Order: sequence, then structure tokens, then C-alpha cells
Amino acid sequence: MTEIWVKNACVIDPLNHINGEIMDIAIRDGRIVESVSDRADVIDAQRCLTLPGGIDSHTHVSGTKVNFGRYMSPEDMRAGRTKRKGKMHVTSGYYVPTTFGNSYRYSAMGYTTLLEGAMAPLEARHTHEEFTATPHQDMMANTLFDGNWAVMDAVREKDVRKTAAVVAWTLKAARGYGIKLTNPGGTEAWGFGEDLTGIHEMVPHFAVTPAEIITTMMRANELLKLPHSVHLHCNNLGKPGNYQTTLETFDIVPDLNPDRQTLYATHVQFHAYGGGTWKNICSKAEEITSSVNSRPQIVMDMGQIMFGRTMTMTADGPMEFNLHCLHHNKWSNHDVELETGSGIIPVTYSKKSAVNCIMWAIGLELALLTKNPYQCLLETDNPNGAPFVKYPEIIGLLMSKRYRDEECATLHPETEKRTSLCALERELNWHDIAVMTRAGQAKALGIVNQGKGHLGIGAEADIAIYPIRTDSVDPAREYRKVVEGFQKTRYTIKRGRVVSRDGDIIVDGANATFWVDAMVPEDLKMENDPEFIKRFEQFYTVRMSNYPVQDVYLPRGRRIETEVFT
Amino acid sequence: MRVILESKVRAKPNLPIEAEAIIPRNFLKGTDLLVYEGNKERTLSELFWIFVEGTAVSPENIEVILKGDTSRIKRVGEYMDTGSIVIEGDIGMHCGNFMSGGTIEIRGNADSWLGREMRGGTILCRGNASHYCATGYRGEKKGMQGGKVEVFGSTGDFCAEYLAGGTVHIHGSAGDFPGVEMRGGELIIEGDATRPCGNMKSGSCVILGTVHDMLPTFEKTRQRVLPEWKITADVYKGDVANRGKGTLCVRS
Repeated sequence: MTEIWVKNACVIDPLNHINGEIMDIAIRDGRIVESVSDRADVIDAQRCLTLPGGIDSHTHVSGTKVNFGRYMSPEDMRAGRTKRKGKMHVTSGYYVPTTFGNSYRYSAMGYTTLLEGAMAPLEARHTHEEFTATPHQDMMANTLFDGNWAVMDAVREKDVRKTAAVVAWTLKAARGYGIKLTNPGGTEAWGFGEDLTGIHEMVPHFAVTPAEIITTMMRANELLKLPHSVHLHCNNLGKPGNYQTTLETFDIVPDLNPDRQTLYATHVQFHAYGGGTWKNICSKAEEITSSVNSRPQIVMDMGQIMFGRTMTMTADGPMEFNLHCLHHNKWSNHDVELETGSGIIPVTYSKKSAVNCIMWAIGLELALLTKNPYQCLLETDNPNGAPFVKYPEIIGLLMSKRYRDEECATLHPETEKRTSLCALERELNWHDIAVMTRAGQAKALGIVNQGKGHLGIGAEADIAIYPIRTDSVDPAREYRKVVEGFQKTRYTIKRGRVVSRDGDIIVDGANATFWVDAMVPEDLKMENDPEFIKRFEQFYTVRMSNYPVQDVYLPRGRRIETEVFT
Repeated sequence: MRVILESKVRAKPNLPIEAEAIIPRNFLKGTDLLVYEGNKERTLSELFWIFVEGTAVSPENIEVILKGDTSRIKRVGEYMDTGSIVIEGDIGMHCGNFMSGGTIEIRGNADSWLGREMRGGTILCRGNASHYCATGYRGEKKGMQGGKVEVFGSTGDFCAEYLAGGTVHIHGSAGDFPGVEMRGGELIIEGDATRPCGNMKSGSCVILGTVHDMLPTFEKTRQRVLPEWKITADVYKGDVANRGKGTLCVRS
């Protein structure tokens, strides 16, 4: 029995309506409890900012895409090299670091739970193997369904129950957590050498539209009572004028769930461009946020970009090809049989480029114009917009108008004309930041009742204590202190163990992988469906019996069972 | 000032020595430098007989001379910015990495990666150079960006890969794929070459010997007399497969 008593903590816990109270936290056996015995280890937080462990609701840290990024970028391994130190393995890399590099750096920033943004079911084993080598964060994997043939067949038949059954079978087979749609229909069309430009266009050879895929999947998701909603990367990513598509997509989202959103729109910054070409691109963040502000059923995340070198990786193959045509750099494209595709290409976001500066401004505008912080979460689509180590800088930018103005002064002069960032006075407070980095994520991912994202009695003891005194630091002026404070926690506590102290990892990790076992009625079980089996054996290069991930790949898997629907 | 380093006989002569500390500037403060032999840290005097002649007040006037068996000494002259190094025999890999000024003269042969990611200065190699002479790091977009590498013998494969600036002059022949992915600078090969300049973007390359397996993605534009080489050459543009605008001149 291990006990820790954290005293003198300045706690912000939005889900329990605690905002800056000085209090003590008692931890026993990995859970937060009422009180502990006097033999407990005492941590004196010295009135420092104490938050629930950070949660990243969309990041790419594991799986084939990330690993291919590593293959492609041997030069990245020259950066970020650290030696072995105590329990810490060697690490290297900056935008596609080693798995331990990812895990240690997230831990140093106080993050304890991550959602891998896109896992192709066929390549799930690799993702789960890397999860076990990312030891200091609990992991979840969004499973890609954007070009799944069985799903598209069911959507064409307008059969929500069948769609739900396919989703349930695939989620279980891949040990996935939620539904991810990346450019629905578009990637599969690209696999046949064609491209889609809107959500009401037919996907060639499948006779469905992206809009039909999205709406049917949202209904199937709610029918299955999955903890997370549909996680959507909208069509037309990164094309000037694409905000129309994004707004059209938001318009078709019904409000189906009283507890959480019905649609999680990811990296919306890449989907909020006005204009028609790269020459006249401008910000449409106001249109996007006014749509989100009037629709509580939508949660989005920023997809903020930060200047510097990074790697873009997505299941959106056609978009990566377009990016390659722009940059002429090394690139990769990949097709995953009957499921999806992917593309990877390194990029450098530069302050000299008007387009990059506008992208930078749009991300911040989205966060500042969204009224409810629960509806706009902080992330960079790591590493697409920037490596996650830039999060503290983004927090600094959101909390300080002065910091934003100083940055704006160094940017391309067009930024001011084509975005409204400089006119925005809003400065987020500590509570907003706590929502945008943990509470909002926990609620959106549906893991609050798994004890994530809050510090109530019975919650998992995932706690981050930052060396920031909220009573004496004025974030608007002393933003440097804020940035430094969020870069390195004083203590990161993961399931009741101190894993990181002042940025150094001090224990071997033991993370868990959450996955969803969605129940379906007996007559809808896909493993008994002769038509499904026939098509599987006909088109896949693997046998259906060899397809599901074995439990040995999840040494600490945590199964979440849903109620069966009728 | 002249610093003479004469290598001592080693029990395991094949163990590489990582000697990025051997650059003229470092000898301004004395000769207590640390290098690695295999995975063991050594002082310079454990591996070399050190003779110092004269004194110097600035690093430009320092000349380092390496004698004896130096073929397993790596990274000599890494980040060198001034002064000169003379190697009387062969030298190991990565000699002159990131060099930005000064001179390195190798009287024997050089191993692979001679002058990798060089930015300035001069490297003269009197013998042959091995693979990846005057190139970049794997995956990096720009290789050598300035300065001059002159090899009096031949080079191995991938000579001047990702060359982005400066001059590479090979008096002998180059192996496979010289000048591949060139983005600028000048490459001169007086001998033969195989499959030169694949995926070239910009820059110019002159080959005076025979080209084996000329790539089909180069477009012949005209003939030109090259007075400095006293030859008539076919001028090719390319690599057209990737919209490159480089120039490749091959003796007609």
C-alpha cells in the first residue's frame, strides 16, 4: 500500500468546480482518497499550481506513420539527444523522437494520458507495441474508418445498425478506442487515383458521399454508446477556401448526446482558410467559431502551428501529395488495403511566409474566439503543427496579449491584414488553460468516469504540480515565467507514483491502454456474418482469424464495455 | 606555431579514435585535449608524441601536423574555422566535418565522408578519397555549402551528394552517382563517372572523362567549348524528371 499526501497545493480542478483553492490531496494505491495515514510520504507543493494530469486528445506518437517519419528523417535524430540517466533511456529526435523521448517529454510537461490520433486497424499491432514503449502515459487509439469498405457498404445501404456492428467488430479487433474519420471517402478515392473536393460529392466506386459517411457514423457511434464521439478530420484539409466545407460539415451535426459532444473536429486551424489560392488565403476563424459557439454538440481542437521544422503525418494521403507538390521535398504515400491510407512529409513553418504566419494566427484566433473553453482544446496535432514541446509557448500566447503583440511584430506584414488576431484583447486565465489541457479533453474523450481529468475522490491520482505561483505571477506581463513553468513540472504523479521530478524521470513506467469492447446484439455479430467474412477473405491479404490483435500486445489493457443496443 | 602529433604504436591499432578535438584553435591553450579511443576517454599524450615548435597568439598561425598511422583517426578538423592541418599519411572518416575556414592537406588517402557539410575553407587530398566525399548528412536537404575540396586521386560513390555550394574538384575518377541531388555549387571530375547528377536541382557539373550509364532524364541542349579545359562538351539540362535546372557538361 503506497500513500502520498500532497499538501499546500493550489488546485484548479474545473470538473469539480475548484478554482485556485489551497488544499491537500490524499493518494492511496493510485487513487485519490479522503485521507491517508500518517505514514504517507508528504509532498509539499508550496502553494504551486496543481492540476489533474494533462491529457492530449489528438497526438501522433505511436504507430506506422510515426515510425515511417522516423525512417524518413535520420537528420532529426541529430536533435534532442539525451544520455542515459538513472531510469531514463537514451533519447533522440525533436519532431519525431524515440518513443521514450515522447514519453519523457510529455511527462516532464505533466501529461499522463494520450490519445493516438489515427491508427489503421490493419497496423494496430505496431501501434500497441509502441504504446508499451511509451511507458509514462495511459494510451488510447483512435481507429481509422474513413475508407473502410464494409462501413461504406453499410452506409450505402443506409443501415446504421450494420454500420455500428462493423465498427464494434473492428474496434475490438484493433483494440481501438474511438472512431476516427480522416478526410472520409477522400483517401479511398485517392487510392483509385481520384480526389474529392466537397462533402456532397460521390466517392467513386462506392456510391456514398462523405456527408453520408459522417452522419451515419455519428448515429452508429451513439447507438453503440461509445465513450468518445466521432473524431473527424474534415475534408479539404489545408486548401484555401476550405472553411466552406468545414461549415457545411458542422451544419449536418445533430445533437445526439446530452453528456458530451456529438462531433470532435480535430485540428480545425487547417480547416479555417478563406480565399481561393495560396496568394489570397485569409482567416475565417470568426465564421468557424461562431458556428461552434452556437452548437454545443461540437468540440474542436486548435491544431496550432508553431514556427520551426516539423513533420506532417496524416491518413489524408491526397493532401500530403498536394503538400509535396508545394515543397518538392521527400515524401511518402501509403495505402492500407480496405481501410485508409496515409502520407508523410517534412515541413518548415517560417515567419517569412505569409501563409505560415496566417496559419499561426488562425489557431490562436480559434481559441480566443470560442466562448466556452470546453469547446476548443489546446493541441498542435503533434507533430503536424509543431512538436508537443511547444504547448507551453501556446499557453503563454493565449494568456498574454503582450506576448502575442511581440510575436506579431516579427511576422510577415500580411498577417495583420488577413487575420483579426491583433484586434483580439482576450487573455485566457488559469482556469481556461486547465480546461483546454485536461478537463475539456477528459470530458470530450468520455474518460471522466475512468477517473481521468479531475481530482475528485476516487479519481486516478494523475497530478501535475507546476512551479508557478498563481497568486504572484501575472501571466499577461510575466508570460516567460508561465512558459517556463509549464515546460517542466515540479512533480508529475501518475497513478499514485511520482514519475517525474523537475523534468527527470525517476521510475520505470507502467501505463495502461484503454480500449472499447462495444456490445452488439447476437444477430449483428460480424464474425458470424457470411457476407462480411466472404468479402474479408476475398480482398484482404490477411486471414480474418489472423487479423485481431492478440491480448499479448496489450500487457496492461483496460477494457471498457458498452451496453448492448437493441 | 607548429604542433606535431606523431601517433604512438597502439595495442589495438584498429580501434577508431574520435578526435574532433584536433583543430588548430584548441592548441592555443595547450595540448591537454581529450579524445576517445573506442569507448575510453584518453588524453592526447596517451596516443601521440607531441612536439610544439614556436608560439602563437592567434589560431590562424597554428599548423597541426599529424604523422604516423593516422588511418583510424576520425573527425580531425571537425568545426575547424582557421589555421591549418597537415596529415602526412592516410586519415579516417569524417575529416573536416562542418569546416568553415582554414586548410586541411591530406598527403595520403582519405576515408569516407571527407568534408561532410563543409561551409568554407579548403581541403586538399593528394591521394584518393572514399565514399561520400563532400556530401551532407543522411536525410538533410543541404550538403556541402561552401569552400573547396580538391582530390588528386579518385573518389568512391556518392561524391558531392546534395552539394549546395562551393567547389569540388576530382582529378581522378568518381564512382557511382557523383553529384546526385545537387542543389548548387560546382563539381568537376577530370576522370570517368557513372550515372552522374541524378535528381540534380541546380548547380553545374563538368565531366572530362567517360560517363558510364548516362541517365536518360537529362536533356541535351547544345555543344559548347570549355576554354579552361580545352574541350568541346555536350551541355545537358536536368534532372528533368524533377524539374531540375542544373547543368551537366560532358566531353563530346
